Amino acid sequence: MFKNYLKIAWRNLMKRKIFTAINILGLAIGFGSSILIYLFLSHHLSYDNFHENSDRIYRFVTEEHRDNIDYEATVPPAFANEFRQNYNYAEKVAKLAIWENTQLDFELNQQKIQVKEDMLFAEADFFEIFNYPLKEHISTRSLEEPNTAYVTVDMAQKLFGNSNPLGQTMRLDNMETIEVIGVLENFPRATMLEEGLIISFETLKKLDDFAGTEVWTGMTTSLECFALLKPNQDVDAIETALLELPKKHRSTSKNRHEYQLQPLADVHFNPLYGGVDPTLLWAFGIIGLFLISIGCINFINISTAQAFYRSKEIGIRKVLGSFKNHLFWQFLSETFVISVFALGIGVIFASLMLPSFNSLFQTELYMESLLSVQFFGFVALLLILISFLSGSYPGILMSRIVPVLALKGKLNHNDTGGSSTRKVLVVAQFAISIILIAATLVISRQIDYAINTDLGFDKESIVMVKIPKELEAVQLESLTNRLDYISGVEDVTACLSSPGGSENRWGTGVKYHNRPEYEEFSMQVKLADLNYLNTFDLELVAGRNYFKADSITEVLVNEKFGKKIGVNNPEELLGKKFEANGGYVKASIVGVVKDFHDGDFTQEISPIFMAQNPQWYDEIALKINTQNISTTLTQIKGTWKDTFKDYIYEYNFLDDRVEEQYEEEQRYLSLSKIFSALAILIGCLGIYGLILFYVGQRTKEIGIRKVLGSGVANILALFTADFFKLILIAGVFATPISWYLMEQWLQGYTYRTEIHWWIFAVAILSIMTITLITISYQTIKAAITNPIKSLRTE
Amino acid sequence: MLLQLQNIFKWVNSGGQRIFLLKDINLKVKEGEFISIMGPSGSGKSTFLNVIGMLDGFDEGSYDFLDESVHQLKEKHRAKLYKEYIGFVFQQYHLLDDLTVQENLEMPLLYKKLKGAERKAMVADMLDRFNIVGKKDLFPAQLSGGQQQLVGIARALISSPKLLLADEPTGNLNSKQGEEIMELFKQLNEEGVTIIQVTHSEKNAAYGKRIINLLDGRMI
Ligand SMILES: Nc1ncnc2c1ncn2[C@@H]1O[C@H](COP(=O)(O)OP(=O)(O)O)[C@@H](O)[C@H]1O
Ligand SMILES: [Mg+2]
Repeated sequence: MFKNYLKIAWRNLMKRKIFTAINILGLAIGFGSSILIYLFLSHHLSYDNFHENSDRIYRFVTEEHRDNIDYEATVPPAFANEFRQNYNYAEKVAKLAIWENTQLDFELNQQKIQVKEDMLFAEADFFEIFNYPLKEHISTRSLEEPNTAYVTVDMAQKLFGNSNPLGQTMRLDNMETIEVIGVLENFPRATMLEEGLIISFETLKKLDDFAGTEVWTGMTTSLECFALLKPNQDVDAIETALLELPKKHRSTSKNRHEYQLQPLADVHFNPLYGGVDPTLLWAFGIIGLFLISIGCINFINISTAQAFYRSKEIGIRKVLGSFKNHLFWQFLSETFVISVFALGIGVIFASLMLPSFNSLFQTELYMESLLSVQFFGFVALLLILISFLSGSYPGILMSRIVPVLALKGKLNHNDTGGSSTRKVLVVAQFAISIILIAATLVISRQIDYAINTDLGFDKESIVMVKIPKELEAVQLESLTNRLDYISGVEDVTACLSSPGGSENRWGTGVKYHNRPEYEEFSMQVKLADLNYLNTFDLELVAGRNYFKADSITEVLVNEKFGKKIGVNNPEELLGKKFEANGGYVKASIVGVVKDFHDGDFTQEISPIFMAQNPQWYDEIALKINTQNISTTLTQIKGTWKDTFKDYIYEYNFLDDRVEEQYEEEQRYLSLSKIFSALAILIGCLGIYGLILFYVGQRTKEIGIRKVLGSGVANILALFTADFFKLILIAGVFATPISWYLMEQWLQGYTYRTEIHWWIFAVAILSIMTITLITISYQTIKAAITNPIKSLRTE
Repeated sequence: MLLQLQNIFKWVNSGGQRIFLLKDINLKVKEGEFISIMGPSGSGKSTFLNVIGMLDGFDEGSYDFLDESVHQLKEKHRAKLYKEYIGFVFQQYHLLDDLTVQENLEMPLLYKKLKGAERKAMVADMLDRFNIVGKKDLFPAQLSGGQQQLVGIARALISSPKLLLADEPTGNLNSKQGEEIMELFKQLNEEGVTIIQVTHSEKNAAYGKRIINLLDGRMI
């Protein structure tokens, strides 16, 4: 029977090729997107699920309680040893520190090689906690020793080509020599480790890095600390026990730490601690559903519209012995055939789109990962779901057709039903498209706002160059002077970090004037020489810049600092005592700087102080002339190289850095652009199918109207009006929904654009335009046909 | 007794008025009969036939088919009954355009859940009996009207119904083709099939052993 259904299904589909194509294409796009989304979601959901003891692995994180709570995925550097020695909860504890973009020098086949790589410093126990197997190693050596390293197979290939990686040595940041003593199997794709070079943690101590110290007074996000707990531990009890640590080691700090254990499964999904935002995954899933539903809606609409043309067949079948459920299943098998085709084309779509998808989301998804039981389960489910979703309603409608009427030809289009359902579904399609368009508009306006609003500092034509090693104050000054001498360079400043767009954020507590206690809030520190204000065009609202001095005696603060401590008149701040960083900074306030956005727009402007301390400068900022930029850049590089002969030169533009803060948003934007385009495309296919049907149904009416003198425009208007009504209704539903959703999204931003009514007007109008274009060809074609022709056929 | 209709009334309501399609119909049909129904266009012949065939309902009266009271049966049972015992032949043939001759013949058997081999044998049998073996792979559009009607009749007979209902089976055929169909009916009747046909032609009606005349939904 089923074979017979399939055969008939096939013939029916071939008979109505255009509608079949529309149905298949619409569903195929839905399938294709669903497959990509499936890959994306399963990639994320499979994160770090391969570690044997993953349910006992935890990361230590810190809640910083001040006037607000900050969440940091790290603990003070001394935490790990204390936890190891004084507590008995864990089998293993391991620290991990990341160094990004750090220089490596080595010789390969008598050639000097200089590269920059990201790398990790790890305690040997890290490999006891996690399952990253070694492929080969020098068995007499261990990662416990300083100056040893592991590389992954890929990294070995990248650095040393086909030479044996074991025993190779490299200069690290021109400071220490490290030796490769082991080769790790490549990491699975879904894991937290991305760096293929792992150096012993002991090395870090020699490199004089904060993460390698044993202090309780500060933290760095470059450090992470993991533990493999003994079986059956009560995490809450451990966290309670850990409450004593801050009391013991940080009793005077206004920054009250609470250490917590984050399960490994949460690491990838907790945005508080730098994980991916599950909302993104949800958004993906929901959009996938949207696209599939739009495809199904097309199918339902076209099938129910077609039901009339099949009523005779159904009548005959019923008279010859078919029961309702026969017809229902017959129709469902047609849907199934269509879905299978759509699936095939969807898989092709997905594999064609995958490279662009990967580059957009910086993922490495592979079609091969589809060859899994889960995927086949997913596809089978999708096939059945879609067949039922789109097949059952038309199936029911058709099986209800009364045979006598059908055979007598007494049925008209309304008797086969579904016309009001069609309207509802078309409204739903339009609504989805309007929501997606509105979302696209709001996201792009927010990005535009964040990038193009005056941030309070100058970010145009500013080049940022790293200072790769510490220089004597005099040397540094001579370098900046020489750079300033370049004709294309207008201003130069050496500093810890740029005013905004920098990841180098350093917070510290502060004591103001003669107040007895440190303040609750923390301040951001901007260390820089005297040219900082000029170079970035920062505005003084009171007082003056600091004078040149060998130690920190004078500081500048921003207006926000005044607000935080309750002094609204900047003048009042001048001359007041200022202590920070636990007494390391003791100075007086000499000037107040107008507020600028030091973080991105999700963050509130911080209270900031600025001071000079060459020891801490990390980069040089150069304001350059927009003429002859390339000459200027070459000259800057030359001058820099004179000072840092052994280092790789790198620079970037400040405005790029500011934009990079919104990479995530850019991704959301591309996402909503692509998916609205797809939604609209599938929707248009459906509209095209419907208009074909409507025009067919009303040829006689069109003929009569034409005979009575109606023009092409009138007839176009006749059809357009119907659709526009539906679009307006869709708009009425879509506007509050998308307004609400986008308002929720914008809540994530401290500084945000407003949602205007015209955004929705634009969305609705664009849908109207697209619909008009979609329907006009068929409508105009019908309208210019000689009316006598269409009347005669009746 | 094959079937018996007693005081059958059928009407439709239109604009507050009751329009009678069938009025006080009484009919007994024994197995092996061949009845012709005649009457002017619009007199209710098709409606009458559809009521007998249980494709259509009625509003008053009683109808017994093989000693079952059709009027008391649920729709599903009624459908079962007519599917088992009644074959239909239509003026417009009503073959499925997408199916070949062979597949059209096979279709009623599919709904009866017969096995493939059994179906094949029965179809082959029919093709042979109606002399259309050579046409088995053609689609209806490739056949002449007479041939299509042959297929229609073969399809109606394939599940060996007790009763064959034919609504103007020759209405779309020329007189020679019509005559052939009538000869076929005669032969089928002699083989034991009960036939009720609707026709406009006196000549065709004469093939029946009994003639019923309808006027405005009433037997005269
Ligand atoms: N469902 C219905 N509703 C209203 N009128 C009907 C219906 N079915 C049939 N008729 C009318 O009943 C009369 C008899 O129809 P029909 O049985 O087809 O006549 P015949 O087959 O004798 O030409 C016709 O006038 C027809 O228009
Ligand atoms: Mg009739």
